[in-house]
Amino acid sequence: MTILEVRAVSRRFGGLQALSEVTFSVRRGEIVGVIGPNGAGKTTLFSVLVGLVRPDFGSVSLDGRNLSGLKPHRVAALGMTKTFQNVALFAESSVLDNVLTAGLLHHGVDEARLEALKCLERVGLESVAHKLAGELSFPERARVELARALCTAPKVLLLDEVMAALNHVEMQEIMRLIRSLREDGVTLLVVEHHMRAIMNVCDRILVLNFGRLLADGTPLQVAADVAVIEAYLGRSAGEARR
Amino acid sequence: MRVRFAPCLVIAAAAMLPLLLDPRGYWIRVLTITLLFAAMAQAWNIVGGLANQISLGHAAFFGIGAYTSTVLLVKFGISPWLGMLAGGALGGLAALVIAIPTMRLQGHYFALATLAFGEVMRVIANVWTSLTGGPGGLSVPFAPPSFAAYSFKLLRPHAYIALVALIVATSIFKAIRRGAMGYRLRAIRQNTAAAEVIGIDTTRVKLEAAVISGALTAMLGTLYAQVAVFFDPDTVFGIASISIRIALIAIIGGIGTAAGPVIGAFFIIPLEEIMNSLLSSRAAGLSQLVFGVVLIAVILWQPRGFVTLFSAWRARLSHGRAP
Repeated sequence: MTILEVRAVSRRFGGLQALSEVTFSVRRGEIVGVIGPNGAGKTTLFSVLVGLVRPDFGSVSLDGRNLSGLKPHRVAALGMTKTFQNVALFAESSVLDNVLTAGLLHHGVDEARLEALKCLERVGLESVAHKLAGELSFPERARVELARALCTAPKVLLLDEVMAALNHVEMQEIMRLIRSLREDGVTLLVVEHHMRAIMNVCDRILVLNFGRLLADGTPLQVAADVAVIEAYLGRSAGEARR
Repeated sequence: MRVRFAPCLVIAAAAMLPLLLDPRGYWIRVLTITLLFAAMAQAWNIVGGLANQISLGHAAFFGIGAYTSTVLLVKFGISPWLGMLAGGALGGLAALVIAIPTMRLQGHYFALATLAFGEVMRVIANVWTSLTGGPGGLSVPFAPPSFAAYSFKLLRPHAYIALVALIVATSIFKAIRRGAMGYRLRAIRQNTAAAEVIGIDTTRVKLEAAVISGALTAMLGTLYAQVAVFFDPDTVFGIASISIRIALIAIIGGIGTAAGPVIGAFFIIPLEEIMNSLLSSRAAGLSQLVFGVVLIAVILWQPRGFVTLFSAWRARLSHGRAP
C-alpha cells in the first residue's frame, strides 16, 4: 500500500538546517500537497527524494526499496522523478526533443518520440512541439517540465510549483491533469503556493516550517491546525484562533 | 525520405581527386593529410561538438595509435591493420583514464586538463627510449607492397584509405548524433542535473563518448604513421600540430555538425600548405603570421563556423525556388 516511506530525514547546508527529522509515508495513488513558507525546505525535500541531495541522516524508500546512495538516474529508473521549480529545460533543444530524451529511459528513439508526442498532447503543448524550449513563455515551459517528467513513466511524480504564474483556466487544466494521472496509478507530491488549488486537489497535506514537519493531515484538518496558521500568519493570528 | 545530394556529390568529387593529382606529387600528400585531419576532427566532434567538452589533448590518442602500430610492426612484425585495432583499444583505454578525473570539469578547466594530458604523453614518449626510440623518432620499416602489409608504392591507396576513414568517422558521428546517445549528450550539455533526474546516467554517457572519440582518433594515428613513414614524439603528440589543429578544424568548420570538420579541414590544411610554400622563404614566421591573421578574420566573420554560411546559401536557394 505504502509506496514512499521517508524516515527521519535531516539535511544541513552550512549553518542552515534545511530539513530536520522529516518523517512521513505516502500511499499508492495518493495526491499529497507539500506547503510551507519560503525556505521551509520543500524543494530540498524533493531533491533528497530523487537523489540530487544526500540526506545527512534518515532514509527514503520507494516501493519497499531503500534509495540510500542511489544517483538520480537510478531513482528515475525505479520510478520517481521531479520537475524543477525554476524550470531546467534543455533550452536549445526543441520541445519535442526535451520530452523525447526522457522517454529514452524505457524506449528506443523512435518509440520515445511517439511517447513524447503523447505526453505533449496530455499537457496541451502538441502545437509547439517543434519550437525551441527556450522560446516558450514561462507557463508553457513549466508544462514542458511536466511532460518531460511524465515521459519517464513515473510511479511517483514530484511537482515543484508547476502552477506558478498560471492563470485560472490553465490552473484548472493542470489540476484536471493531476487527477487524471492519479487515475492512471501515478502517486503525486505537489509543492504549490496557491492554497485554493492545493486544498482542492490534494487528499492530504504536509506542512513544513524551518525544515520540520509541522502538520500532516487532510486539507480540512490542516486548515484548522493552529500551528499552520502561526507559521503562515505569525503567532498572534494563531493565538486569536485558540 | 529526402535524397541527400550534397554528401553524395562531395564523396564522388573526393573519390575523383586522387586520380587527378600526380601520384608521386606533393598535393596528393596534402589531400591525404587533409582527409585524415577531417576524420580526426569528426572524432573530436563527438565529445567537442555534442557534449561541448573542448578537448585540447587529442594528440594523446593520436600519438598512442601511431606508436602502438609502429612499435608492434618494428618489434614483432605485426601488420599495421592489427596494430590499428590494438592502438584503438589502447586509445580508448587512455580516453577512459583521462575522462574519469576530467569529466566533471567544464569549459576552460576541461580544456587545460586535457592539454596537460597530451603533454604528459609527449614527455613519456620522449623519455621511454627503449620502446619509442625517444626524441630520435620511429621509422615504419619497408615492407613489400601489399594491402595486407599496409604498404604501397604510391600515395593513391593511402588517399583512398583516408577517404574511407573519413566516411566511417562521419557515419559514426551522425549515428551518435541522431541516436539515443546524441540526445543524452545534448541534454547533459544543457543541464546535467535535469538530465540525471529524467534517468540519464550522465557519468556513463560521458565516458562512452570519450572512449569512442579516443579510440577513433588513435586508429587514425595509425593511418597517419603509415603515410608519414617517419615520426617523432613532438610531431604526433604536438599541442599546436595535432591537438589544437584538430579542435580548430572542427571549430572553424562548424562545431557539432557533420559537415563542419570536413569543411574546416579542406580550408585549414591546404591554406597552411599554401602559406608555407608562398611565404616561408620570405621571412621566418611570416607564413604562420599570415595564417593566424586569416584564422582570426574567419572567426570574426563566421563565429559559428563556415557551416552557417552554407546553410544560409541553401536557405536562400530553396527560398528562391519556392513559389
